[in-house]
Amino acid sequence: MNTEELLQQAEELLKPWAKEVSRPEDNRLDVRIEREDLLAAVDALILKAHRGYLAAITGLDHPEDEQVELVYTFPDMAALVNLRVSVPYADAQVPTLCDLIPSATLYERELMEMFGVTVVGTPDPARLLLSDDWPEGVYPLRKSFTGFDQLETESES
Amino acid sequence: MSDQSSNPLASVMDGLKSWARINSPWVIHYNSGSCNGCDIEILATLTPRYDLERLGVKLQGSPRHADILICTGPVTRQSKERLKRIYEQMPSPKFVVAVGSCGTASGAFRGCYNICESIGDVIPVDVYVPGCAPRPEAIIYGVAQLLEMIKSGAPSAEMRKAEEPAAVEG
Amino acid sequence: MEAKEPKKFIVPIGPQHPALKEPGHFEFSVDGEIVTGASIRLGYVHRGIEKGTEQRNWIQNIYLLERVCGICSHVHAMAYTLGVEKLAGVTAPPRAQAIRELVAELERIHSHMLWLGVAAHEGGFDTLFMYSWRDREVVMDLLESLTGNRVHYSTNVLGGVKIDVTPELADTIRKGCDFLEERLQHYLRVVTTDETFLARTRGVGPMTLEQAELLGAVGPTARASGVTRDIRIDAPYASYAEFPVTVVTDNGGDLTARFVVRIKELFESCRVIRQILDNMPESELVAKVPRRIPAGETISRVEAPRGELFYYIKSGGGDRPERVKSRTPSLCNWSTISTVAVGHKLADMPMLLAGIDPCFSCNDRMIQIRRKGHEDQLWTWEQLRRYGIEYYR
Repeated sequence: MNTEELLQQAEELLKPWAKEVSRPEDNRLDVRIEREDLLAAVDALILKAHRGYLAAITGLDHPEDEQVELVYTFPDMAALVNLRVSVPYADAQVPTLCDLIPSATLYERELMEMFGVTVVGTPDPARLLLSDDWPEGVYPLRKSFTGFDQLETESES
Repeated sequence: MSDQSSNPLASVMDGLKSWARINSPWVIHYNSGSCNGCDIEILATLTPRYDLERLGVKLQGSPRHADILICTGPVTRQSKERLKRIYEQMPSPKFVVAVGSCGTASGAFRGCYNICESIGDVIPVDVYVPGCAPRPEAIIYGVAQLLEMIKSGAPSAEMRKAEEPAAVEG
Repeated sequence: MEAKEPKKFIVPIGPQHPALKEPGHFEFSVDGEIVTGASIRLGYVHRGIEKGTEQRNWIQNIYLLERVCGICSHVHAMAYTLGVEKLAGVTAPPRAQAIRELVAELERIHSHMLWLGVAAHEGGFDTLFMYSWRDREVVMDLLESLTGNRVHYSTNVLGGVKIDVTPELADTIRKGCDFLEERLQHYLRVVTTDETFLARTRGVGPMTLEQAELLGAVGPTARASGVTRDIRIDAPYASYAEFPVTVVTDNGGDLTARFVVRIKELFESCRVIRQILDNMPESELVAKVPRRIPAGETISRVEAPRGELFYYIKSGGGDRPERVKSRTPSLCNWSTISTVAVGHKLADMPMLLAGIDPCFSCNDRMIQIRRKGHEDQLWTWEQLRRYGIEYYR
């Protein structure tokens, strides 16, 4: 199957949950879904149809909308399927993928500490990358965090 | 010091210890956040092409057996305490060689949020080996410089650090 | 589990250890000598590079991203430059792409030989460690004469490469490959026939194809379990479409298979290096890339020595990226450890950890004991020794 066919098949599979579908690149399909539908969509794409594997969970901060966007990337040969979920700062929660894909645990731990998105039900919520003395509630990959100096002055004041 | 000078045996013993130390310095290696580049060069230094072992240097697993700490990387927040702990576990007199530009002055990682300025900010450093990554020859030169320093009897960074507060008080 | 709780020990391994590489921290729960579970703590080398990329411009980031890892620095820079070129709508000239592939394959040789030595060291086979590192110096010399540096090659620039291969250099590289192939034949024989070494690797850490798929293993670790996944073939980048490689797999799934797959990959690398040198396309080395990259986002994937390297790059249209995410292959392979380790002896752990290509061998000098109904307790070796004597009395 070539890339085009793979992407068309993925689009077909994800149709029930897709809120918005786009093809920004030749080999990439972006599907926006609601977070409630995430597990069902991943189940249909990966476990039922065996299309691809989880390559990464990328977090994107959108301070202007007070949202964190999560991009779940599933490559299959050269084809890339992105599931995009947006969660507001006020209710930053997503369900865990670990029941379906055990290897998601490290990506989810990274997501939790870097963006402050709570992954509900992830098996090991301990810190993965940040130091033990890192202050609670500071998420380095949010745009509002601008560095070490700011952190120091805030903790002093 | 006065006790030692009054006892002729003590100075002989000191000389003997120093001689032994120069001829068989045991090193321990710790990566405190570097990119591995320096670490593989340190390993390359110890393997047959460069063979640092001909200077009597032996890589040691435990800090309690080591004389020299070879340390790489810009010291991340998480490894800072570990680096201090390893340094404290080493028996005195102890010496530190900081390898790489990022260990000297954070190098390429300057401005990243999770690092300290340099290894020298965390523990006293005797010799800096700059380079990104330094060649094995540079690392050998750095260690040779350190051995020269020990031979000449110049105070190590550890001793200078220990004397610092006294100097302020006096 | 509940009943076993009083006998459960947690053995911390790392972060400081005598071999090399990332100071990670593992905690193995053991029942006697048998491992019952594992958990990972990284972050000892977390420097904040992803955030750092947002404070540097597109060109400065090449320098920074090369320093994500000193062993596979070229592939990091290559993944990033390929991604940025895609965003800018520029394709690097064919000769530049061929040189990228050439350096990537030379780097694979250096990385796998380094790994061979370290893994042998973990298995207590220091002779092989010294020999493979001695021979690795040959490929280091080739890389140095080609790029001018032993560790960070700085080959990539946006739009191409900044080094060229002269015919004399090509000859040197061919000769180096001849030598390496001969030595690699020898190493392949050693790891498949040496009985003492096989005793440490055969049947250790088996991972089935299904497990490898489920746990998201990548690179040689996955291919040693029969997963035919290789970005160089699945989604060719640089010049891998013109100079293809064939995928090397093994169905063993154990440590021996991981040794065999990695060494066999090097024969393939040597072959493709010769092919590139014989058919080097003639063209410019650099295409022009604007200073400001048009807004957009892209995903760039390359096959690093350890497996799939994933870059997500987003531009807001300025002279700095808005977000660069890099997911390194080791991260994927870490998660296989916790499953594969269970049921093995603690003494096999350094080998198992080395098998995925990061490595470990040291114990922190304390043991944490969790007892039901008790607070966590830290024991020194002395207390542990006494406990051991009492236990067996």
